[in-house]
Amino acid sequence: MRAGRARDGLVLLALAVYAAPFFWLAMTSLRPDTELLPLTHLWPSRLTLAHYDVVFRQSLMPRALVNSLGIALLSTLLAVGLGALAAYALARLPVRGRSVILLGMIAATAFPQIATVSPLYLLMRALGLRDTWLALILANGSFTLPLVIWLLAGFIREIPRALEEAAVVDGAGRLATLRWVVLPLVAPGMASAALLAFLFSWNEFLFAYSLTATEASRTVPVALALFPGVFEVPWGDIAAASLLASLPPILIVVGFQRYLVRGLLAGALRE
Amino acid sequence: MTDRRLAWILLAPALAVLGGLTVYPALWVLWLSLQYRVPVFSISRWAGLEHYAFLAVDTRFWNAAWVTGVFTACSVALECALGLALALGLRGQHRGRRMALALLLLAWALPSVVTAKMFEWLYHPAGGLVNFLAGGRTINWLGDPDLALPALIAADVWRATPFVTLLCFARLLTIPADLYEAAQVDGAAGLQAFTRITWPLVRPILLVALLFRTLDALRAFDIMFVLTGGGPAGATETLTVYAYRTLFQTLQIGFGSAIGVVVFAFVMVVAVAYLWVINRQDQTA
Amino acid sequence: MARRPARAVLLVPLLLLMLIVGGCGERAGSGAPVTLVFKHAKILGPADPLPDLLQRFEARHPGVRVQSEALTWSSDEQHQFYVINLEGGSPPFDVMMLDVIWVPEFARAGWILDLTPFVPAAERDAHFPAAIEPAVQSGRLWALPWIMNVGLLYYRRDLLAKYGFTPPETYEALAAQVRRIRSGEGDPRLDGYLWQGKQYEGGMVNVLEALWANGARLLDDVGRPFPDRERARESLAFLRGLIESGVSPAWVTAADEELTRRPFGDGRAIFLRNWPYALDLFELPDSRVRGKVGVAPLPRLRHGPVGAASTGGAHLAVSARTRHQALAVDLARFLTSEAAQRAMTEGAALRPSRPSLYQDAALVARDPSLPALLGLMEKGHPRPITPYYLMLSTTLQPEFSAVLVGRKSPDGAIRDGAAQVEHLLRAITP
Repeated sequence: MRAGRARDGLVLLALAVYAAPFFWLAMTSLRPDTELLPLTHLWPSRLTLAHYDVVFRQSLMPRALVNSLGIALLSTLLAVGLGALAAYALARLPVRGRSVILLGMIAATAFPQIATVSPLYLLMRALGLRDTWLALILANGSFTLPLVIWLLAGFIREIPRALEEAAVVDGAGRLATLRWVVLPLVAPGMASAALLAFLFSWNEFLFAYSLTATEASRTVPVALALFPGVFEVPWGDIAAASLLASLPPILIVVGFQRYLVRGLLAGALRE
Repeated sequence: MTDRRLAWILLAPALAVLGGLTVYPALWVLWLSLQYRVPVFSISRWAGLEHYAFLAVDTRFWNAAWVTGVFTACSVALECALGLALALGLRGQHRGRRMALALLLLAWALPSVVTAKMFEWLYHPAGGLVNFLAGGRTINWLGDPDLALPALIAADVWRATPFVTLLCFARLLTIPADLYEAAQVDGAAGLQAFTRITWPLVRPILLVALLFRTLDALRAFDIMFVLTGGGPAGATETLTVYAYRTLFQTLQIGFGSAIGVVVFAFVMVVAVAYLWVINRQDQTA
Repeated sequence: MARRPARAVLLVPLLLLMLIVGGCGERAGSGAPVTLVFKHAKILGPADPLPDLLQRFEARHPGVRVQSEALTWSSDEQHQFYVINLEGGSPPFDVMMLDVIWVPEFARAGWILDLTPFVPAAERDAHFPAAIEPAVQSGRLWALPWIMNVGLLYYRRDLLAKYGFTPPETYEALAAQVRRIRSGEGDPRLDGYLWQGKQYEGGMVNVLEALWANGARLLDDVGRPFPDRERARESLAFLRGLIESGVSPAWVTAADEELTRRPFGDGRAIFLRNWPYALDLFELPDSRVRGKVGVAPLPRLRHGPVGAASTGGAHLAVSARTRHQALAVDLARFLTSEAAQRAMTEGAALRPSRPSLYQDAALVARDPSLPALLGLMEKGHPRPITPYYLMLSTTLQPEFSAVLVGRKSPDGAIRDGAAQVEHLLRAITP
């Protein structure tokens, strides 16, 4: 038993070492400027909130955080909203060409963003949507839609048909069954899909970089990549900004781990 | 309302969005790759296969293809090996499993831009932790053409291994403990237990992980673009970075689209090949 | 669980809200007073003369307000900002400060106003030819020169005098001086020759200067790349040789203007190639090299002239979509007038684009280096004047960078660079 506990401790330590780069970043965000370059001591002599102050008062991060939050929430809404309906249709209703559509969904999850970014750029330009939230909501939402549909179709298929048939016997139509029987049961699966879609949109860089121009729609990854430094790179400020950029992902990993894991595994194990 | 009609009503919005924003652009990029297109100067002309003919002899393209290949092969191999090792280590974990997974998944969940900036700081010649731990030497990891690609690969392995670990770990959990007990009774232990029991059961999931990771590595853009920008001197310029620079720096939409189409083709070929292998494996299993 | 209807209800107003918030960034200037928006990069230097100048303009034009907006720091970002906003159709600014290399591009794209009807010929001739040339396309004037720059060789007067040297006229002499001084001083931290070798526009400038110093051009008269291959090869080999022989430290391949200015300003280098702004910083009261720095024309290689430096600088242009054409042009002409440029020279670390000011008694009394700079500016010449210069530069930068870090041979870089440029030109010129 004691060996087991010691072993557990060792494994946790190993993983803490694995996550050390992130903790180093966190420490950098609290380290005073004078102790950043060159690095002479591992631990700082004191901690400072100056970098966070700069990030909140003088950088574009606050606006970028708002943009990212809004765009991620809305694109998740789009993907899960449309995806749930489509998944139900594909899983339970007669659809001609269902296997072709499903195959298309799987193929679409492998599309490289770099290939679709130039047409999307021209499209958004033509629609006058450059530098708007809508452009990114559409781009992100549509990119995660195939995965969401595929995941949810799988989750819906796991629900025993008997439950739906019981509802039909009770006189409920298809839509009512969907609303009152299927959706509540697939809610955890939808949560998983939503988390994955949110994470994707929050972390997304290529579309955001290409389709935005000013802080009107710049998201957090772009603001971080373009973090201004007049002469020298302000590593402390960048570290603070990075920490802020990582808050939602951390929250999801710590608070919603079960749903996240379920979504990841479902995507992989259902071939 | 018939089921059939309802099905199409429910499917229509999703298909419309996908059609307009995924399928249409996929076809459009093919069309663009056959044009000379520089919107800033209102240039729009038919080019035929000229861009592809140029790519065939373009040294920068072949360098990018080489970098992409090396990056993908090394990253994926390391991720799978390390991922499996971590999963095996985690399997015996009783306490703190959630904490363990959280520490791992953190690396995976971070935005790749954050990971890139984080490693750029770790690799800093004067202020970086790596050099500090290496005894205070000022190795210029990201500025040396020979060190930049390994440094980039290390960053990506750090980021993506947790995904493989998770998959393997989940599969390992489903292997009933009595299998191992029975093997121990039979006198097989340790390495034999691994090769006889664990490996055959974990291999299929590892192949799936391989597929996902290969597709992701081929399409990777964020981490190399932010970490090194493709430098120094193209040492870390993958096909995606080359395509991006062509599209948005030199504003050659036609030529950049051609490079994008090539990436598209590679990814699709790999996906089909892997699926065929997995399919065959399922059949023989 | 009322999921579906709730979601639909949420979506519509949210989408509308987004469209409103995200779609309209700029609000059009309302009736009166007229507001002109002037976009420019931050002015560095001891004092910022701009607010004062703009006030003077407003005093002359009652009812007009000038809103001054600063651009981001990096030149690439400024360019991207301009391209995205000008392409979009209704840019929220009237007068813009442009890097000189962007003027032909913006003119060709139709984004800036033709100033020919507004500017008399005499005003054109009052500026350096090297400043006016890039602003002229098809005989028409598209922008007014505002700030002028030229590449200079900075040297440590005290160190050269100590060993009996005068500023080198050839790079061979420069290398020899570096070796002699370094062995004499015995200081391992004293670097020889610092220049900008990073992969960016500044690095391109340094390479171009090396090409011109050897009598090579980047493009020939019809725009074909590398007409003088052998000389170009020598220039590139020379630059790589500076690093291999240790005359320049290896880190110059990642250095820009500021990363090279600082070590020289700390007294840790003998020679530096940089722009005129550095001189003001070297002469600050607390500078370690105050009074020890001299400027000279760039040396030559075998086949080229001395002083083959690149000019640079900023111009003022008017947006083609401005609603107040006459006023905006007035602002541009006011800011580039002799009086305004004089104020800028006095206040900031900037050099004017009017030769007359370099011999102005009052200004020379404040800054004795002006007459010498005049000669250097007249010898310098602009980078290739073509709307596609930026495309060319970003295509060739990786090739040149590969030579500087030793990853490619000069021959290979020239061959591959030429192939890429030719492919580029096929798209542009049918």
